Amino acid sequence: MTLQSRQGPRPDYSKYMDLEEGWVDRRIFAEQAIFEQEMYQIFARCWIFLAHETQIPKPGDFITTYMGEDKVIVARQKDMSIKAFLNSCPHRGNRVCFADQGNTRRFVCNYHGWSFDTEGNLQGMHEEYCYEEGDIDKSQWGLKQVAQLDTYKGLVFATFDETAPSLEHYLGDFRWYLDALLDNEEGGTEFIGGCIKSVIGANWKFGVENFIGDAYHAGWTHDSGCRAMNDGNPFPPVDMQNSFHASVNGHGWEFGMEGVGDIFLLGRPRVMEYYNDIRPKMAERLGEARSKIFGSVASASIFPNVSFLPGIHTFRTWNPKGPWELELKTWVIVNKNMPDEIKDDITKGVMCTFGPGGAFEMDDGENWENCTKVNRGVVTRHEKLHYRCGISRQIDHPDFPGTIYRGQYNDSNQRLFYQRWADMMNAPSWSDVPTRYASKLNGRATRDIPSMKVA
Amino acid sequence: MSIPAYILEQGNGTASLEEFKEVEQRVYREARLLDDEVYEDWFDMMTEDIHYFMPGIETRYRKDKTDQLNDTSRMAYYNDNKEEIKKRLARLDTGTAWSEDPSTRYCHLITNVEVETTNNPDEYLVYSNFLVYRNRVERDEDTLIGSRKDIWRREEGVLKLARRRIVLKQSVLISKNLNVYF
Repeated sequence: MTLQSRQGPRPDYSKYMDLEEGWVDRRIFAEQAIFEQEMYQIFARCWIFLAHETQIPKPGDFITTYMGEDKVIVARQKDMSIKAFLNSCPHRGNRVCFADQGNTRRFVCNYHGWSFDTEGNLQGMHEEYCYEEGDIDKSQWGLKQVAQLDTYKGLVFATFDETAPSLEHYLGDFRWYLDALLDNEEGGTEFIGGCIKSVIGANWKFGVENFIGDAYHAGWTHDSGCRAMNDGNPFPPVDMQNSFHASVNGHGWEFGMEGVGDIFLLGRPRVMEYYNDIRPKMAERLGEARSKIFGSVASASIFPNVSFLPGIHTFRTWNPKGPWELELKTWVIVNKNMPDEIKDDITKGVMCTFGPGGAFEMDDGENWENCTKVNRGVVTRHEKLHYRCGISRQIDHPDFPGTIYRGQYNDSNQRLFYQRWADMMNAPSWSDVPTRYASKLNGRATRDIPSMKVA
Repeated sequence: MSIPAYILEQGNGTASLEEFKEVEQRVYREARLLDDEVYEDWFDMMTEDIHYFMPGIETRYRKDKTDQLNDTSRMAYYNDNKEEIKKRLARLDTGTAWSEDPSTRYCHLITNVEVETTNNPDEYLVYSNFLVYRNRVERDEDTLIGSRKDIWRREEGVLKLARRRIVLKQSVLISKNLNVYF
């Protein structure tokens, strides 16, 4: 019996939106019962981002994080593989690790001294003699493991659902876009040390949908940030002909093709020079198109709760804490082969723009908190929210994978995010989850086909 | 790893009562300027070579030797020179900093001030603690508590802030943003 099937009958979540008409019901941001189902249907089944491999380079290195509201430990093993398991002792449930990150040989529960190795196996406990023969089979009482764990170009993901499709299949053609971030230079990427966490009194989906396709808010919400960082200059006008939304089963990337906008917003001339220098190589590696998608005014999210700004280098997860609060974890992602001074410049730039005290980030939290709070009113929550912008601008693009809409100011990635949300909320099993796009990669490696044409 | 020298600096003696009073009054004045959002005057209280640093702190076990307080190559809320502080403040002058209007109500409480002399007769090493209360709109409310380690330098007779390391005592910032200086 799966976790999900224990929940009894669920409503039809498609009724919370009409994506042909272009609206979404506010209750999905407001109601506890819907939130509970999100935890079962989405966070206990989807592939959830855990860590960057470079955060745990050595055996015994660990990091603690969340999959939904479940606490997990991610640990590097002696054979260099990675395991992830619940940060909860099977004896009384206490957490067995209290640090965000570190290196250890074992995880020991403070309550009764139950001790687990870095694979999560129960090794022993305090006053073990009190257990008679037959009281406990230690091999059966380790820390609960995730069902599947895999990596994609440095990013570690896991799922609690053994029936979930492979990570490669789950990311699907979105890998073509992810490579623009993760594989634009030899050596791949790494995270800068540290992690900035903050609490926003907002539904987790507001963060995700903002990054998945809300270029529209930037010129207004962030006018002050843009002018502050760029000598009084506002956002440049958007080229609606040559900018796009791409959606792949609820993952989404909105982007221009000018290659410099996000790097410009970082406000670090040396970083711009660096990318101008490597761009020809990037074009050889990934093709002309992706060398211009990277660095453009762009933002992206991986379903359900990972977001990043390629070119600005912030990478983050929106961790749900009930329907009305999220914990934002942010990191800085850089290319491993960059010189230290470029990495430092990027780190400073990210924290001046998209840290909690950053000139851009500062104005987002208040918007999302008030979207969340105001939507709780019983009359308010039964009203629709408008998501119809650009609904007629879908195109068949010869090169870009996924569902493509023209024009960066568009609600399409958000509509398709909520489509995926409803698909996951409704589907009793993974085999009932529909695929909402026609794959162009068809299993091929993403870097082998830089100038990809329709298969 | 990158650790600026001043963070490791120890004082070489206690300042005289007169010096202590002067520095203490300076520190209180700075807090009042921040309460009243007189950022131009606050900006002028800093030396041209100011380093304004507030590291991000993770929860780590005691045996973990990662230098979270001092390593400037790690993620930090603030790791600013004067130009970068100027850029942040420029946001407030644009007229479109929406989350500053209506204005935030601030109160900076500064306590535990210690003033030590250093090997440079023009520089004082100053320790203090802060409680920064912030209230916005209806009932948005944050209480941010931490400690500071400063270098104040006398330039042409005027004491100016030359270095500051701020350690906020939260590993998860229990707030949606940091539109505040310490």
